[in-house]
Amino acid sequence: MTLFMQSLLNGVLMGFVYALIALGLSIVFGVMNLSNFAHGEFVMLAMYSTFWVSVLGGVDAVATAVITFPLLFLFGALTYYVVLDRTLQGPFVTRLAVTVGLMTLFRAVAQLLWTPQARALPYSVIQGNLDIGGGLVIIQSRLISAAISMVAIFGVYLFLEKTWPGRAMRAASDDVEAASLMGVNYRRVYALAFGLGSAVTAIAGALLMTFQQVSPIVGLRFGLVSWAVMCLAGLGSIPSLLISGVLVGVTESVAMAFWDPKARSIVVYTIFILVLALKPRGLFGKK
Amino acid sequence: MKRSGEAKPVNVAVLMSLTGLAIALAMPALIGSNQHTMLLAITVLIYAALATAWNIIGGMAGQLDFAAGAYLGLGAFTAGTLLIRWNITPWLGMILGGLVAGGFAVLIGYPLFLFRVREVWYSIASVALVEVLRAAFLLWDEVGGPLERYLPFYSESLYQSFYTMRFRSYVPLYYITLAILVAALLANQRIGNSRLGYYLLALGQNEDAAEVLGVDARSCKLKALAAYAFLSGAVGVIYASLYGFISPAFFSMNLSTEVAILGIVGGMGITYGPLVAAVIMVSGREFLRANLSTQMETLYLVVYSLALILVVLFRPEGIATVFRDAYARVTSRFAGDQDVA
Amino acid sequence: MSPKPIFQTFDLTKRFGNLAAVNNASLEIYEGEIVGLIGPNGAGKTTFFNTVTGLYRHDSGRVVFKGADISSLYPHEICKLGACRTFQVVKSFAKMTVEEAVRVGAYNRHGEKDVMAKVDEVIAFLDLEDIRKQKCAELGLAPLKRVELARAMATEPTLLLLDEAGAGLNPRETVELMAMLRRLNEEKDITLCVVEHVMQMVMGLCERIIVMDYGEIIAEGSPEEISQNEKVIEAYLGRRAAR
Repeated sequence: MTLFMQSLLNGVLMGFVYALIALGLSIVFGVMNLSNFAHGEFVMLAMYSTFWVSVLGGVDAVATAVITFPLLFLFGALTYYVVLDRTLQGPFVTRLAVTVGLMTLFRAVAQLLWTPQARALPYSVIQGNLDIGGGLVIIQSRLISAAISMVAIFGVYLFLEKTWPGRAMRAASDDVEAASLMGVNYRRVYALAFGLGSAVTAIAGALLMTFQQVSPIVGLRFGLVSWAVMCLAGLGSIPSLLISGVLVGVTESVAMAFWDPKARSIVVYTIFILVLALKPRGLFGKK
Repeated sequence: MKRSGEAKPVNVAVLMSLTGLAIALAMPALIGSNQHTMLLAITVLIYAALATAWNIIGGMAGQLDFAAGAYLGLGAFTAGTLLIRWNITPWLGMILGGLVAGGFAVLIGYPLFLFRVREVWYSIASVALVEVLRAAFLLWDEVGGPLERYLPFYSESLYQSFYTMRFRSYVPLYYITLAILVAALLANQRIGNSRLGYYLLALGQNEDAAEVLGVDARSCKLKALAAYAFLSGAVGVIYASLYGFISPAFFSMNLSTEVAILGIVGGMGITYGPLVAAVIMVSGREFLRANLSTQMETLYLVVYSLALILVVLFRPEGIATVFRDAYARVTSRFAGDQDVA
Repeated sequence: MSPKPIFQTFDLTKRFGNLAAVNNASLEIYEGEIVGLIGPNGAGKTTFFNTVTGLYRHDSGRVVFKGADISSLYPHEICKLGACRTFQVVKSFAKMTVEEAVRVGAYNRHGEKDVMAKVDEVIAFLDLEDIRKQKCAELGLAPLKRVELARAMATEPTLLLLDEAGAGLNPRETVELMAMLRRLNEEKDITLCVVEHVMQMVMGLCERIIVMDYGEIIAEGSPEEISQNEKVIEAYLGRRAAR
């Protein structure tokens, strides 16, 4: 029973981070109608950025976000302008294919530059264990990561609701033609959206590095997880994203604890395929 | 005279195909002594066959599929297990492996091709599929497991060799793979000129319009998927025979992505496109692999992905069209001369 | 001999959120007629078409075609039964040639052996011989509309629903289209239901007109009756979107 509760707890906490990652993906999907296959690789790059900034700058993992957030934002916007912008008029397949190319490219370059060897940060200020009784232990870094993820998600929500660029993004997602008629330069909005979607991974990456390792191939896992979360959530609201993130995190965690660590992917992705098959609009999706 | 000018293009295409086939058939005679080159040739053929099969679901049905590794692996495990456990010949195993792969594809595809579900979900699901199968076979100790399962070793008896499809020389496998490639090319041709081909083309152009004209989107996509999966499963058997074992590593994301890249870069919907891409890119890859250190060999992936991005951005119809346009210019000059005469 | 209805809707409703784009619409289309479906912008005509042809799911009510309930059928199944439609904004098969596009439609009732014969027949009927090898992406609006008509005709429908087939055509092209539609109706025995804004087409082509506004059927009758119907006049004038 304790094992179940413990894995449940770990899963919930991880779920918040998953939700944050998925948020980045869904921003791009919602605003630009672009399926970014390379999203997981952005997380991987964010994690590497955190690693190198921390190691070379002697900065704590969490603090690196101050540098990596704008860094990844710029990188995302740049990627948009250089590569993605010209595909948006074309057929859907082209847009998808380009992001697949980016995914493979990022992974290959990462492997060339930094070798397949896994990297981890030695310690972080938020490390430590919390004993909450009943034999349950919370790893502090996971708890704080979950908390910061929630804050970040809320921050993005506020940005989308209250600020002008955020509302422009929401307008573009509803109706690009109408939005551009109202003076919104849709390409700038798209660059903004893609930049934001990438920058969000910087936060997630920084958090992940406090309790995970990074290697060139972790992108696949995070990418698929964020797709699973997004599929479950439907194109609905941010709360649904949170709940879906938690669901995925818990399922993964329990499967790993009770079945086999290698079973992580089977259970999550089987659920994903089942959801697609039975409720393609997601558990919470509208229309 | 105009008539002979018009008949010419068709005949030239057939002529070129037959020439290509003749060269391919003669290859082992030319390079058969060099094991390394033979292996390269078979690898090119394998990827060409996979990519040509992929063209049916990717180029014709317009679904970006990343599950080539899934079907290849299923084919390999079906035939491999049948051979190892019950000594059933891979010749039969190829058919069965293809059927298992095809059946599985239809099973997974059926709920995914629901009315008006966005195409991207199929692509994502196909990526997930490869991962799921890999993990599943890793955990399935009776059939899979983390260790490679070895196929029977070469036998001195000619009959045994043929029966188990385990040859000392690469030559027989070369011809078998060539046969599958030809089958895949023919499948492309047959489907492309049939009702299914036209329906798939229409679906790719405008799904709504196609539907109201009587095109059953789901049924068409499933048929394309089944054909592609069957062929990929058959190739999987060759793959296993080549390596000499079966392993969950066959369910490879890298391989699946490469197949899709070859299909896209070659030219989606063009029968010979993937073949052209495979010849160029797989040879290039093997060259890099052979001549660079292990670290640098990832460079080939960089080249692949750059090729994909560049082709998609600047020549989305595929590199095969470069050849096709050049060929058209040459033949039109021919026909023009005929007219003057 | 009273005309048989081959197409009927009973209290058909389609909602988007809280808005009923089609609201308890009941109408009949009789065999062999050319009936017009008109109404101000936003009246729900295209939504009506989308719902009865299976592109949208209806919320309540029934659609009956040739005696069979088609309310829950997919578009391709409805086409197989004999009802086809064209779109307001032409959905062309851009990279296909005219011949290939028509062939797609022709496969509805023909196999490999005689599909080309059907294609030839349709191309001849709609005078597309000159452009048969041209790609649809290269065509101007009027020939493109003819191709859309050809595609639909190739499916050998009993009922053809045309959504603003006349939009964007100049007067000469409109007259040609009207003649073609009349030929389809008379020579090929195809019942036509025409959604139109071009009054010239409506008045000149349709024997009967049904009027929609705010998703409801508000009037029905001959062109003369409709043009004098108070509710109809009010619907158009009250909208301010008169064109």
